[in-house]
Amino acid sequence: MRAFLLKIEPLIWLMFGQGILIGTMLLTGWILVVGLLIPLGIVDAGALSYDRAYSLATASLFGFVPIGKLVLAALLVLPLWKGAHHVRSLHVDFGGAERDGVVGMLLYGIALVGSVVGVVAVVGL
Amino acid sequence: MGRPAHPHAMAPPKPGRTRTAPPQMPSTWWSAPRIRNYLLFDATGIVYYLISFLAIGMVQALGRGPGAWDAVMTRLQHPAYIAFHVLCLVSVVFVAIRFFSLFPKAQPKMIGPLKPPPASLIHVALYVVWFGITAVMTAVLAGVIF
Repeated sequence: MRAFLLKIEPLIWLMFGQGILIGTMLLTGWILVVGLLIPLGIVDAGALSYDRAYSLATASLFGFVPIGKLVLAALLVLPLWKGAHHVRSLHVDFGGAERDGVVGMLLYGIALVGSVVGVVAVVGL
Repeated sequence: MGRPAHPHAMAPPKPGRTRTAPPQMPSTWWSAPRIRNYLLFDATGIVYYLISFLAIGMVQALGRGPGAWDAVMTRLQHPAYIAFHVLCLVSVVFVAIRFFSLFPKAQPKMIGPLKPPPASLIHVALYVVWFGITAVMTAVLAGVIF
């Protein structure tokens, strides 16, 4: 399994790198508003009422670029790969190198399944 | 924790020309700032995993209709979710600061025929883009614009 992981390492690092860079940049505003400002009542909940949230998620730029769905897909998918790779690294650092192949496959597998589920959810809006 | 990590963990299939000592986790890692920060940087992966799955659940709720969406938004008011999002915010800020300081150092000497921009310029540019995207995301989601 480690041989397979080494073979697909460029792909893993691509997703991991974008997860750190783009994922972090998109998550900051999301966490601020969705996770903190609205639940704490600092921002009116109407800002993300169902109708407004749906229209933002399905918004398009110039009538043909589905910007809402693209941003959402990146926000859902990319951090999963950052998470998978860093949890794998943490596992190795804490003495789990012997099981690295199995754990790595499991973590990237979860990220892959999550990515598919996330993209299906976004496309289905 | 004093046990050496596997010397070939996450290593290339062929060894390099220079022999290296096997990596070893110091038993006092929590009191050594450099490795502690390195491990904390890795540990943010758990947070990124969880926030992604939470966000996937929210988009699925949005697809199911107003009832499911309102239920999710109400659930986020629970103190446990708020505490989790505080942890998420601390994590993304930590990742951003650490990654933005590492990014310029990881640039190749040449990008095709061109030299990469100075490290300080790359560093500042990353912060400008991060603040810009965060400001726009915050304003859009909070209903200030659009």
